Amino acid sequence: MKRPFQIVVLVLGGVGLLHASLFTDLYLNYVKAGMRPLLIASGALLLLLGVAEAWSHRKPDEGSAHAEQHGHEPAGETGHGHSHASVPRVAWLLFLPVLSLLFYAPPALGAYTASRETPQEVTQQEHFDALPPTSPVPITLTDFTRRVQQDRKRAIKGRTVEMTGFVTPDKEGSGWYLTRIIISCCAADAQSVKVRMYGAVALPANTWVSVLGTWHPAGVLGTSTASAALDVGSVRKVARPVNGYTDALPLPTTR
Amino acid sequence: MQKTDEPATGMEAAGAAAPVPQAAAPLTARLRPVIFVLNCAVVLLNLVLLVVHGWLDDPVVQAWRTVCLAVTVQALPFLLLGTALSGAINAFVPARVFSSVLPKRPALAVPVAGLAGVVLPGCECASVPVANSLIGRGVTPAAAFAFLLSAPAVNPVVLTATAIAFPGNPAMVLARLLASFATAAVMGWLWLWLGREEWLRPAARHTGHQPGHSRWREFRRGFQHDFLHAGGFLVLGAMAAATFNVAVPRSVLDAFTGSPWLSVVFLAGLAILLAVCSEADAFVAASLTGFSPVARLTFMVVGPMVDLKLIALQAGTFGRAFAARFSTATTVVAVLCSVLVGGVLL
Repeated sequence: MKRPFQIVVLVLGGVGLLHASLFTDLYLNYVKAGMRPLLIASGALLLLLGVAEAWSHRKPDEGSAHAEQHGHEPAGETGHGHSHASVPRVAWLLFLPVLSLLFYAPPALGAYTASRETPQEVTQQEHFDALPPTSPVPITLTDFTRRVQQDRKRAIKGRTVEMTGFVTPDKEGSGWYLTRIIISCCAADAQSVKVRMYGAVALPANTWVSVLGTWHPAGVLGTSTASAALDVGSVRKVARPVNGYTDALPLPTTR
Repeated sequence: MQKTDEPATGMEAAGAAAPVPQAAAPLTARLRPVIFVLNCAVVLLNLVLLVVHGWLDDPVVQAWRTVCLAVTVQALPFLLLGTALSGAINAFVPARVFSSVLPKRPALAVPVAGLAGVVLPGCECASVPVANSLIGRGVTPAAAFAFLLSAPAVNPVVLTATAIAFPGNPAMVLARLLASFATAAVMGWLWLWLGREEWLRPAARHTGHQPGHSRWREFRRGFQHDFLHAGGFLVLGAMAAATFNVAVPRSVLDAFTGSPWLSVVFLAGLAILLAVCSEADAFVAASLTGFSPVARLTFMVVGPMVDLKLIALQAGTFGRAFAARFSTATTVVAVLCSVLVGGVLL
């Protein structure tokens, strides 16, 4: 890879990372929110490297003297002719993520991924606090599943709950799931949590909705035989949350 | 399509720009920009066609692109850290520092270097360039490899993540620490016993500080070179990992939960194919509830040491002959150590 292309890929890479992390929330489609400072620093560093390289490239005598010195550098050691001035061709691959990030960024994972994964096992919980007295009760998909399958006091019974997620149509049949995808590091380790919906027509896949409803009686409530399912009272389209990869409560402003 | 067209063209363009025999030089030199522009035009045309046809927006391809980009974006800061560190070691640290810190006998230097892995918190991508520059500065390869394997597995960040992912199960954290450290040390000793220098591509770039040259410029050039080089291989590894990630649904796993031995081997293979970063693999392991604790431990020990993106990075840094032997041996040793340690502790 020639030096001008090195400069281009470094600068574009820096701009791309800054675009995705500093100026927009694009990075949340791929990694955790906690990565933001690291990504901003990396973007700035890449930009700096590119500018520094361009600066030294601009001054011709210094640049060529430099290339010369590097070209002869490994003579004593290997004779491989491997120098800093020439970067292997594999570096061209870096243009793919860089251009993709800048001009054609893929969306967050959604119904396709969720429909192919067995839902994440909810963690065991011994003690459940009383549900808040408000109605409907805002609750996360994980909490709902846990309440239904583990709360021996059956506090969820007869209560109207509100949950937000996206629509994942059932592969076999006409039903659908309310779904969230959760990541612990990046989108490569995505896991899904699903609640089966009854009594409402499925909207198109990946539509973000807020649903009101009560537990759909199937199995014994408070034991693992109870299915995580909801008799839907109403479905309302909502905007996709900025950070879609968390199992968060319904936003209060949308109510 | 996009992903295969563009690198090929990139290579052609680089090939066209390669030095040519003197006689043909003037004509080729004049044609070079033309060829390059033509290549670019073909790629652009393909891209436009793909976008128009909507092939890139197929859910499968979208998921593939998202996972591929996610692995790259997640690893980039750590790769930058590793290559910066490697550049700094090369330009600023005199070789005698390492010879005075590490024990003289290589057999002793191996476990010491393995323990030193604690100081490099972060993903595994950072450790490959650092290990390479250590070898370039005269550290015995065996010790450098022990460091390479232990750094992503025994650092505080990863162990904390493991403790969070397995609440109320400190034995898992201890087992991971011991099994990872044992694997790193055994691999270092194995290299002393069986390793051959000729498997390693000569570390041509790391010549250290040259008298009369600016250290800062050496640092910057070395950093940039290593980053672009390793970054290319990172993208290659991310593409392979994304392919398996999207092609193999997790529900396939349920078929292997029955047999304890099969499940250990299967999760080791899964760790290699999925290439989840070492800070996150504990959470993935915790989610594989159908499997025995030993199989899950194997997943966490193999993952940071061998996976598709690491194999690509190692092949790029140390050469293919090395990467093939080293990855195979590491997988076997890691599985054995996990089964032994897990069998006692879990």
